[in-house]
Amino acid sequence: MGKIERSQKLFLNALKEKFQGEDPESVKTAFYNFNGVRQSPRKREFMAEAKGIEMKRGISMYDPEHCHLGGIPMGQRQLMTYQVSGTDVFVEGDDLHFVNNSAMQQMWDDIRRTVIVGMDLAHATLQKRLGKEVTPETINEYLHILNHAMPGAAVVQEHMVETHPGLVDDCFVKVFTGDDEMADGIEPQFLIDIEKLFPADKAEVLKKQVGKSMYQAIHIPTIVSRTCDGGTTSRWSAMQIGMSFIAAYRMCAGEAAVADLSFAAKHAGVIQMASHLPARRARGPNEPGGIKFGLFSDIIQADRTHPKDPAKASLEVVGAGTMLFDQIWLGSYMSGGVGFTQYATAAYTDNILDEFTYYGMDYIKDKYGVDYTHPDPAKIVKPTQEVVNDIASEVNLNAMEQYEQYPTMMEDHFGGSQRAGVMAAACGLSCSIATGNSNAGLNGWYLSMLMHKEGWSRLGFFGYDLQDQCGSANSLSMEPDRGLMGELRGPNYPNYAMNVGHQGEYAAIVGAAHYGRGDAYSFQPLVKITFADPSLKFDFAEPRREFAKGAIREFMPAGERSLIIPAR
Amino acid sequence: MAYKPQYGPGTSIVAANRRKQMDPTHKLEKVRDVTDEDIVLILGHRAPGSAYPTAHPPLAEQQEPDCPIRKIVAPTEGAKAGDRVRYIQFADSMFNAPSQPYQRTYAEMYRFRGIDPGTLSGRQIVECRERDLEQYSKLLIETEMFEPSLVSCRGATVHGHSLRLAEDGMMFDMLQRCILGADGIVRYVKDQIGEPLDREVAVGKPMGDEWVKAHSTIFHSLVGVAYRDDAEYIEYIQRIHALRTKYGFMPKE
Repeated sequence: MGKIERSQKLFLNALKEKFQGEDPESVKTAFYNFNGVRQSPRKREFMAEAKGIEMKRGISMYDPEHCHLGGIPMGQRQLMTYQVSGTDVFVEGDDLHFVNNSAMQQMWDDIRRTVIVGMDLAHATLQKRLGKEVTPETINEYLHILNHAMPGAAVVQEHMVETHPGLVDDCFVKVFTGDDEMADGIEPQFLIDIEKLFPADKAEVLKKQVGKSMYQAIHIPTIVSRTCDGGTTSRWSAMQIGMSFIAAYRMCAGEAAVADLSFAAKHAGVIQMASHLPARRARGPNEPGGIKFGLFSDIIQADRTHPKDPAKASLEVVGAGTMLFDQIWLGSYMSGGVGFTQYATAAYTDNILDEFTYYGMDYIKDKYGVDYTHPDPAKIVKPTQEVVNDIASEVNLNAMEQYEQYPTMMEDHFGGSQRAGVMAAACGLSCSIATGNSNAGLNGWYLSMLMHKEGWSRLGFFGYDLQDQCGSANSLSMEPDRGLMGELRGPNYPNYAMNVGHQGEYAAIVGAAHYGRGDAYSFQPLVKITFADPSLKFDFAEPRREFAKGAIREFMPAGERSLIIPAR
Repeated sequence: MAYKPQYGPGTSIVAANRRKQMDPTHKLEKVRDVTDEDIVLILGHRAPGSAYPTAHPPLAEQQEPDCPIRKIVAPTEGAKAGDRVRYIQFADSMFNAPSQPYQRTYAEMYRFRGIDPGTLSGRQIVECRERDLEQYSKLLIETEMFEPSLVSCRGATVHGHSLRLAEDGMMFDMLQRCILGADGIVRYVKDQIGEPLDREVAVGKPMGDEWVKAHSTIFHSLVGVAYRDDAEYIEYIQRIHALRTKYGFMPKE
């Protein structure tokens, strides 16, 4: 442990822009002179819009100057803008609430509406049970029919209702395989080309994992999964798969053998993005609480596009993860209201976590010779307690000192939960990338929490008393009910199920262990391949940039209903 | 062997101040006078001079179950009388306010009886029977655990602990419950929940940078003592973490 020199401060630009005309290192400032809520263009827009709505519907609505604290509106201090980390885009905080951000909605839509379905069993059943020939040509014809049917079109029966293509244009199915010869036979429009999308070394590993098998990456219409739920995805896809096989291979619709095919094609090879939750959570498969952290770090693709920068790859997982797990899962599914956004955005705005993490990268290079720009499993450090203690202590002390030296940054992250999540994430990511071990990363997270609490005599909200003060004891345990390897933990893992400001970072800590080693995937190679597809609405390689586009209203989402509603 | 509390590690003034506040044998320095009536006004739970509202009859007037614990634990005065449970909540500036959330909880647990503290990053609440609360609050406000510009009583809307200070040195409070007068004295114009008071309540003058630095219980590399400089403290945290990692909550070496 020992401070190292790092002159670059990635957060300075944001602080200067947010607190214009003020010294970021100043200790004092002027308050109570900002004209309250009216200082914010977005709040003024809300007020004007609400006035029109009230006139139209005759029911009162947004009225912050009356309803907030009996007539004292927020904005007695400066209502800050935020720079989306890793971009040059400054946005208002309101623009990062998922209701106000179509990119955020689409990210979750694209995960929830996705299911992967293996084709091998279906092909074997077709060949052996039904005596059908399966060739690249028949597969292409099947995929042509499936891309007609999956959005909601009929393929067998007469006089059927169908969906308007303009409402379901985001729905499609592609396939991938590790067999180059088989891949060559698939029409490019239907193929996720592993060779083209991944760096050569990673493509080789992924193809080996897939082998000669073939999988369908299915994305049902956004509008369907929104109207129903994540559990619908496999059902909707199963129905259309069954009908498409019947149509493509000219099968009898009532023959008993088709039941065999139905099971083989529709259900036997299904891979959900999330497992279903216990009854007390009351959620089906493909809902956020069931996404394993290892799988989520495979959904995010920044390690594919930035293989030489595991820190950047991890920070993208933090952004995507805090948005999904904090803002949408805990913040709305499990709780409700608007408060969770403020916790979550701290981890992906103003380049603060980025700076703390890159300090960690400089430290592991300086102290242990781990060059994070050349990920290599042969160059990582053995994950001992001493190494974790050393890295986490230094990264955490540096983060605390930065907050202290730049009071405007402390003011930016004005809540203890924000600071706790960000500092512990930097520690966890640094330990993970240095050691290539996700549990070592989690252990670093918990040392950060203890140090933070003792140093400043505060941590986050009440919940941190539970999760973060007993985390040391479960982060390296593998005993049932006490621990699990990080890749297999998830938002519903005991102790993790209630606390904002943790789950997205945990997912990144898990991913970081693999990005730091240069692995092709963290947990599930099929998921890594599926979300590499550039045809998806949301670009999973750059989630923070996508959120910024959503914030400035430049992101075009799917599932819009403008075709079937009156023009406004 | 009798248990001897250690109150925490560290060689710095911050660590020493923490131990002093926690140690019930250490008499906290009284630095201001605030009348009982003024305490009641700041708390805002009852009108000064009014009877204590009760949640149940006095213990002497009601049948107590045959409970061994009740025979061991003597009730506080508030519990005896059947008082309601009420609260005081503090916001403490990170710029060297003399007490800080967990520090308050630790100190209160050593010094007070019959309390239920809650600890967050921007505030710390302690709940107990009302007449006990008034007694405890007096100690918390009159002694070195309080500083008028950097500590304030805030029932709700506590925002301010981590913000820069206002130009007059006061911690931000969007409700401006207390204000610094031209005479240099801080006065509460609203109670802790933010209801305007019929008269102002003076809580004294800010103590000045030198005093707050000497009485600080928070590490701060810009305005106080750097955490990094208290090596014993850091080593202690690492040791606790490593023992918990290896042995759960049954550490052995």
